Formats: sequence, structure tokens, C-alpha cells
Amino acid sequence: MRRIFQIGGEETECWLAHDGSRFVLNTPEGVLPCRLDPTTSPGGFVLRARGLVRDVRLAAGPEATFVHMDGRTYEVGRVDPAERLAGSDGGASDDRLVAPMPGVVVSVAVKPGDIVAAGQPLLVIESMKLETTLAAPRDGVVAEIPFAAGDSFGLKDVLAQLAPEED
Amino acid sequence: MTISKLLVANRGEIAARVLRTAKARGLETAVLRHASEQEGPAHVIADEVVTIDGPTPVAAYLDIPQIVEVAKRIGADAVHPGYGFLSENAGFVAALEKAGVTFVGPTSDVIDLMGDKVRARAFVEERGFPVAPSAIEDDGPATFIERARAVGYPLLIKPSAGGGGKGMRVVRADAALEAEIEAARREGKRYFGDGRLFVERYIERPRHIEVQVMGDGKGNVVHFWERECSIQRRFQKIIEETPSPALSPEQRLDICETAAGIARAVNYRGAGTVEFIYAQDGAFYFLEMNTRLQVEHPVTEMVTGFDLVAEQLRIAAGEGLSAAQADIPQTGHSIELRICAEDATADFRPSIGNILLLDEPRGEGVRVDSGILDGGKVTTDFDPMLSKLIVHGSDRAQAIARARHAVQNYVILGVTTNTGYLDAILAHPDFASGDVSTGFLAEQADALTAPGENVDDLLMAVAALSDERLVAEVMQISDMHRKMGGWRN
Amino acid sequence: MRRIESQIDTNAPDYKANFAAMSARLKEFHTRQHAARFERPQRDNDRLARQNKLGVRERLKLLLDPGTPFLEFSTLAACREYDGAVPGAAVVTGIGIVQGREVAIHANDASVKGGAWYPLTVKKIVRLLDVALENRLPVIHICDSAGGFLPLQHGVFPDRYLGGRVFRNQVKLSQANIPQIAVVGGHCTAGGAYVPTLSDYNIIIEGTGAIFLGGPPLVKAATGEVVGVQELGGAVMHTSVSGTGDYRAATEQHAFSLAREIVSQWKRMPKTIIETAPCEEPYYDPKELYGIIPKDRKTQFDMREVLARIVDGSRFHEYQPDYGTTLVCGFAHIWGYKVGILANNGVLFNDSSLKAAHFMQLCNQNRTPLVFFQNITGYMVGREYEERGIAKDGAKMLMAQGGSVVPKFTVIANASYGAGNYGMCGRAWDARTLFMWPQAEIGVMGADQAANTLADVKIRQLQREGKELTDEEVAAIREPVLERYKRDVEAYTSTSEIWDDGILDPVNTRNALAMSISAALNAPIDDPHYGIFRL
Repeated sequence: MRRIFQIGGEETECWLAHDGSRFVLNTPEGVLPCRLDPTTSPGGFVLRARGLVRDVRLAAGPEATFVHMDGRTYEVGRVDPAERLAGSDGGASDDRLVAPMPGVVVSVAVKPGDIVAAGQPLLVIESMKLETTLAAPRDGVVAEIPFAAGDSFGLKDVLAQLAPEED
Repeated sequence: MTISKLLVANRGEIAARVLRTAKARGLETAVLRHASEQEGPAHVIADEVVTIDGPTPVAAYLDIPQIVEVAKRIGADAVHPGYGFLSENAGFVAALEKAGVTFVGPTSDVIDLMGDKVRARAFVEERGFPVAPSAIEDDGPATFIERARAVGYPLLIKPSAGGGGKGMRVVRADAALEAEIEAARREGKRYFGDGRLFVERYIERPRHIEVQVMGDGKGNVVHFWERECSIQRRFQKIIEETPSPALSPEQRLDICETAAGIARAVNYRGAGTVEFIYAQDGAFYFLEMNTRLQVEHPVTEMVTGFDLVAEQLRIAAGEGLSAAQADIPQTGHSIELRICAEDATADFRPSIGNILLLDEPRGEGVRVDSGILDGGKVTTDFDPMLSKLIVHGSDRAQAIARARHAVQNYVILGVTTNTGYLDAILAHPDFASGDVSTGFLAEQADALTAPGENVDDLLMAVAALSDERLVAEVMQISDMHRKMGGWRN
Repeated sequence: MRRIESQIDTNAPDYKANFAAMSARLKEFHTRQHAARFERPQRDNDRLARQNKLGVRERLKLLLDPGTPFLEFSTLAACREYDGAVPGAAVVTGIGIVQGREVAIHANDASVKGGAWYPLTVKKIVRLLDVALENRLPVIHICDSAGGFLPLQHGVFPDRYLGGRVFRNQVKLSQANIPQIAVVGGHCTAGGAYVPTLSDYNIIIEGTGAIFLGGPPLVKAATGEVVGVQELGGAVMHTSVSGTGDYRAATEQHAFSLAREIVSQWKRMPKTIIETAPCEEPYYDPKELYGIIPKDRKTQFDMREVLARIVDGSRFHEYQPDYGTTLVCGFAHIWGYKVGILANNGVLFNDSSLKAAHFMQLCNQNRTPLVFFQNITGYMVGREYEERGIAKDGAKMLMAQGGSVVPKFTVIANASYGAGNYGMCGRAWDARTLFMWPQAEIGVMGADQAANTLADVKIRQLQREGKELTDEEVAAIREPVLERYKRDVEAYTSTSEIWDDGILDPVNTRNALAMSISAALNAPIDDPHYGIFRL
């Protein structure tokens, strides 16, 4: 029930509850009993909150809800905390590309010192009659490519190493 | 000769607007559309939509051979160019003429003359019309700097080949003159491929006043009164109105007759606008003439009751003007707001997105010339103007009130627009008193983009309660647990 | 259903004296409970911060639905053991709401002795898993434990209901198709490694979570291999190499977000349906309980006055109101749920025992959950009663109560002595939850009685040896026994030993019962069937 809303560049975390008779929005500022009922206009609603009744038109896009209220238009970015957290990945494991099974290097596209972008192909390997292109896990600088085209490698051998990220 | 099928070589709101009049006059209509373009009102109104191609969408609308070929292929006997794109391109006029297709607009020689700012200025000055003191480089490069000095300070350095406000520099003190001239020359070379300059007296706190003129190409010219367009941001007009609150009736007549005189001097054919700089002391100077229908023409239509596109079509068909000067009134007051997909709080950065909800304002004295449809998409392929909101009132105060009411009720959701900014301008006391100049928006920038009442909690409530998934998540908690709330033993 | 008509005068001196006494008791109770839940030496909080871990309460805040209730069990477990150095027995258990679903929570409290398992820790966890099994509640484990507390390993490891029972219960939960999630936010070593591996889903927090049968020191001692925590059992290894870990969470927030997401896709199973009515607040103010419960445990009070401050609308439909009057039986609603209530208004006689047995059969037939309010010092003794067959009648009551198929809930509201505890569904009788009031007492007999009996034995022994005792000498024998017994029968002792699921502030009884009833309805109710009633 938690959401992060983005208004005018600022983020606020809040949670929605229903106490058995009405909705209540809990924000760092306090609690706001509130109610939204549809009207017959397209995207039209009536908002009851702070003791007032307001006409509202709204439309929800995938990332934000757009609101027209009291003659002004607003954009409310919606962030699902879970989705945002899922993105936070990374760590030392992103410095190395490790062979998932034994195989042979078909071709190498970069050399030590090259600056690479996330997703950029580094080398092509062949294993069990399948060719796979291995790409850089993140932006960075190539530190080492231990194997050359034609070399065989074993399970878990390091195939490419990026220089550690500077913080 | 009659026109029976009209091709509109343009898009967006102006295409829709021209098509509307064309249809009302019983013409068969066609309009262009680039393959990547979203569906808009023009495509719905036109009888025929012709797809055009190009490396970019804009390039397609500038592709003369392609467009001429289209006109021939679909059997259009006339082409209306709208504004922008090829509307002031003499080459386009010539190509259409060669293809036997009527161009709804002036002759190519007049387009050429007025398109060259230096030539136009010289032409107008020779015939005794007022121009700002200036110095033109071509007249004598060696003496240019001396003559520039003689224009008097403050002065404005402009590139001869330029336009759109680019490369212009204000010089207030003599010490800076030579350095600024060098810098302007470099910029002129960079932007326009031409380093020639001319220098004009810079009018402080000027107002931008223009006059709508119409000629039948047979020596008859009328004016449709003036428009004031001082509300500009970086030389882009945002709000236009008529009549100008700055002019006395005498001044109005003076400036309008001057404009008509200039149009007569070139035996003008079609719709045109003569733009002036109006100084605080009441003097006015010729700035330039636009040989096309302008964006802001609707305010003129609202106070005069004339359909200017209908006039254009009449003239193109050889039927002449439909009225004499005495028959053209100026009743009440009209204001136009340009609705643009821009974020006024982020330096007017263009905004893109899907139009999730569109509800245009309606009511007495309200007109919307729209280039967008509900469900459409706004991209950066074309300029950010989405539509024009035009209001009419019996006087300026009523027009302002109606404009505010309409822009506050103009619902465009899914894309950031400048409706809030426009309302702030209308609400500003200086606008209400008519005490503005072209520097108004820059001077008042902070006041006009100041945030309003903090309604963040209400917005979050709306966003939360309209999020069906969120509400379902909350309501899946049983009634009892919800009522107990955060109870702990 | 008629409202109970209260006879209480809130201005009477007795009422006010009771109110004051209970208020003082509750002040102490709330202070101790707060300390057990929240107060920790700064160095323990600092250590958690250094380890980049959130405290258990913050973890629960991330896991549970905001704005929902949490029924916490045995907050004061171990409050009278281990020199009071292991508040809550280093673990938090209870019933909470996650994505709208009732779940049982088992969460190590690493701010207490690193979350180590003491004997009472094991007991508290086993109890929580028993609650989960009986009520078919999904379980969420939050694992962060230093492992078994070695000096007391004899109380942690070998016996049937000790450490192994935790894992056995996990197996039984899984066998019964009740889901479990483990969030590994610390070490799961040796036996502890089975908590996440026996769970259906597990999430390991990168950097802090680890699972291994033997930690690095043990590995080094056993084989000489030197290996670090992360390589031996960290998040990356288990989620990408061994497949022991299902999800690798970058942060604590991420981990609990994942846990919530897993819960959100569980099918919501239909709950058992019992009679309900629209919910109503009690007509009388629940706070009046403080003035009704006597400050002296021996003073009698009318249980109907208690019920009137707990049940919906204070409405009560009394069964056999004129027979067996020392036991009040009847129907009421709590948060809308219809329940059958048995409450003591004196000792149990033949008639009250028979009434109880019949009433409980009615409830079983009607699928009505049973709620017991205990204030019992025993069954009546004496020749007349024995001739009438009080032992048989007591047995019949036990047959009906013990053979009940409906969920049972017990509140020890005052005294709970001897066999009366049994008849009224004491701990041994499988109440789904059992709570104590702060002034309640539980023992085989009252402290005075016990002290007198034991002192008598000693005195007669000394007399046989020819010693005649003065009053002071008698007192000197009686007093220490009395003191010890008084302490042994106290609610704090019971709750420390986990003979109950927690002490409740009386005004919280209503919600605690409602939450328990609601949770219990996740399990089906069997058809009634009993053993032999000795008639």
C-alpha cells in the first residue's frame, strides 16, 4: 500500500489505508481522509478532502497521473517502491564475465584499456555448438581479456575483467 | 478561374483551420501527412490524406518537388501553404506556377522582396514610410562602423540574412561596438552562412504591433486593423490581441493606413502582415512584412467578423476582395493564447507524451483551433504549439476574463503544457493594465513561474485513489483488520 | 439479543480502589513490555548498525501492511530467566497482516544476544509454529541468529519439543500445504540453515545473509579449509551456484518488498464460515474493567460485568441462566463473530459441570467457537458432592471440552487453580490462543493453601522429632514458602515460561480474541465427535 509520489521534482513516500468507512492517505505531514468518486465526464471525478469538494479531471499514464484541478494542471509521478528497489543491483560480480561452461573463444572485440558501454559486445564464445556473444555488464574500462580467439577455456574461467569502478 | 480542389501543404492546427473554410466553401480538400505523424483533426476533416516522405518529417514538408508532384497527381488546382514551411518560398511558388497549380498567396517577386530584410527595409524607407534609424553594411563596408555609430545608442546589430531573433546583439556603449560587430559577424557566418550585418536603433521597451492587410493583386488593398503581439518569449509570440491597448484611435488609423500603403506600394496580392516596432513615445517603425497568413490571424477574424482564409481563396480564384475598407469594423476585443507542449517551470523544455485526455473549453466567445486529438501523441518532430485558444469579449476586461476562464478549463492531460503560464500572464496586473513591452515576459519570468498554493497532499490523494491496483491492495485487507488499524497489544 | 444490564457503580469506593490498583499494575506491565520490545543497550544497536542490519521491529514495519494490527505473542517470555538479559527470548512472534493475508511471524531479534536460541527461544518458536499448524497460517521467518546458546544446549537440543521440533513443524506445515517464506537477514548456521531450506521460498540479503551447515571457524577446525562467509554461504553463491537461495536482495527494503510480492501471488484460500452479525462496540466502556477486576484476588466479582465490556453491544444470550449459576454460559458476538462463552462465577459444582458439558456440545453442533474466561479455584469438594458424582461430572465436562472440534480461546482472567484450569481449557487443552490478565494467577493450588500445606508437612515432621514450635518459628517456615509460591503463580512467571501466549491489558482482550478467531477460521472445523461420557 506504499507508494512514492513525485511532484515538482520532489519525492514523498506515503501509504493508503481504509479504516472501514473511508480512505485515509498517510504522508509524512499527517493523515488525510479522502474520497474520490467518478462523475459522468470523461476522466471526471469529485475529490472530497480537507473539508472541500473539488472537481477533478484525471488521466493515468504508465509512469504518472495527470490531474486537472481548480484550473491548474499537475503531473504526479508514481513510483512503486518495489520496482525501484528491484533495479538496485550490482557489486563486485559485475566486474567479471565468467564462463558458464567449457568452450572455445571465437572472437574478441576489445582490448585492455578500451572504454566500453553497458551491453557492448566484448567477445564471442562457442560451447555445445552454440555461439554466444558476451556483453559488458556495465559501463567501464576493460582491464583484461585472458583468452584469445581460438583458445579453449573451462567452467568458471574468467573471460573478461573490467577495471574496478571508482566511487 | 474557379478552384474546385484544394491541397493544404501543411499540418496541425493551421491545416485543420484552412480545411474547415475550404469545405464550407464547397471545395474538395486534401492534406499532406508524414508517415510517422499522429492522426490529427486535419486528417479527419480532409477528403483525402496524402502521405509524404522524407529523412525527417520536417524535411518532407519542405520537399518542393514531392509536394508539387502530389498536387498534380491528385488533381488539385490550388495549394494553400499555411504558415511556416514553404509559405514564403519563392521557389515553391515558381514550381507550382510551372505545374499549372494556383498558389494561394502573393506573387514570388513580392515574396522575394519582403523576404530579404535589407531590401524590404530599403524599399519601404525609399517610399517615405517610417523605419528605425539604421546603417546597412552593403552601402559602404568601409564606413559601416562610423555609420553604425551615427545610428545612436542603444543599437541592435542584426545579421542581414538572419531571422527568428538569432544572432542579434544589443550595444549600449560605444566602447563595446567594434567587439560586438566582430562577434555578430562570426555568428552570422555560423548560423546563416553570411557574415553581413546591419544595425538599427534599438527601441527600449518596444511594443510589437502589426497590421493585417489583404490585397487583390489588382491594386486594391484593405487593412483589417492591427494586432498587438508584445507578449513574446525569446522572440516567439505567446499571446496576441486586438485592438492594441496602447493606441489612440488616431494612432491606430495612422499605423493601419501606413501598412495598407506599404502593401499598395507592392501591389500586394493575398493576405499579409506588416510588423512595426512601436516606441514608448508613440513613434512606430517598419520592422518587416510577412507575406503569408499569420498564426494569430483569428483575433482579427473575431473582431472584424471576416474569414481571412475565405478571402484568400476568393483572391486566389480571381474574385477579388469581398469588402471595402469602410465595411471592416473592429468590434469588441479578442485575445489569442498559443497552447504549447512546454514545461514553463523547466525553462520551457519541449514536452512529449500521449494525450490521455483532451477537453477543449467551449462557451460564448470561445474558439479553439486545435491541432491535436484525444488519444494523440506529441513528439519533438514538429514545433511544440498544439493549438490556439481565441476568445472574444465586448471589451478587453471581458476578453481577459473569458480567456482566463477558458484556459483554466482547457484540459490537456498526458503532456505538460503552458496553460498555467498563460493564465499567470493574464492574471498579472501589468497585463491587465496593458502596460507591457516585448521584454515583459523576461522581466517578470520569476513572478510568472512562481508555484501556486501547495496542494501536494490533494494530488497524492487523487493519484492514490485513482490507482486501481493500489486501491485493490488496500481493500484486500479484511474489514475487521482495516477497522482495527495499527493496533498492538 | 439483550444487553447485559450493568450493576456497577463507577463512583463506589471499591470500584475506585480496584481501578487504582489495576492502573498501577498496568503501568508496571506496560513499562516492562515496552522495555522488552524496544529498549536495548546502545552497543547492541550500534553493532546492528555496523553490520548494516535493520532491527527486527523495523523489518516488521517493512513487511507488514501499514495500518494493520499485529497480535504479538509472549513479549515477556524469559522475563524471569537468564537474569532478565534475554528480553522476549530474543525472538518476536505473532500474527500479522501481509498483503491482506493473515500470517504467522517468526522473527529473530538480533539486538538480543545476536538472536541466539535459548531454551525459551526454542519454546517460543515451536509454539508459534504450532499456532501456524493448528490455524493453517502461512509463516514468514526472518532469520538472523547466532545459533544455539551453547551453555544451555541441553535445553535447546535433545528433547522431543526442543530445537528439532522447529524443523519438524516446518516439514509438517509444508506437508499440509501451508506456505512459508524465509528472509535471511543474518546467519543461518548449522540447524538454523534448515529454516530457509525447509521454507518454500527464501530471500537472502546480500552482504548480511548467509546459510551454511558449518561456518568458517568450524570449517577451518574440521578440515583446515579457509573460506570466507560470502563464498561459503553468501547470497551470491546460494542464488547463482548452489540454488539454495531463491532470491538475492540488494537491501533490506528490497528483501521485504520481494517477500510481500511473493505473498501477493498466493491464492487466498476460502475461510471457514461461522455465524456473524454486524459488528458493534461494547455498550459499556471497556476501561471500566479496571474497576471491576478486584484488587484482591480472593474477592468475588460477577463475570457478566466483565463480558459486558468485551462483547459486541454488551449483548449476551445466556444459556440455562438459573441452573449451575457458578458458571455463566451463553452466546455473544466479538467483532461480529458469534461465540459461545463459558465464564466462572465461583467454583464448579455438579450442576455447573453438566451445564458446561451440554453447552459445549451445543456449540460444537452449531460450529460456534468457544471462549473461556477463567476465574476458577477448583471443583467443589465434600461428601455431598462426591456422592453426587462430582468427579464424574468434572470428567464429562473434560470430555466435552477436550473433545471439542470448534476452535477454543482462553483468557485467564483471575484465578486458575487445579483441575478447574483443565475443565476451563487451560494450556494443555489446545486453546488456539491463551492469554493472561496482569493480576491473574495460575498454579495447582493457591499460594496460601500451598504454603500452608507444605509448612504443615514440615511442622508435623518437626513435631514427630519432638520439637514444639513457637509462632515465630512457624512463621519463619511458612513465610519463605509463601513468598516463593506467590511468585511462582504470578502471571509474569507464566508468561516468562511461555505457559501462555502473553499478558494482556484487559481492554485489549476484545481485539486479541477477534484476531485469534479470525486467524483460526483459516482451518476447517470438523464434525463433532466425542469419547465416552461417564454418565
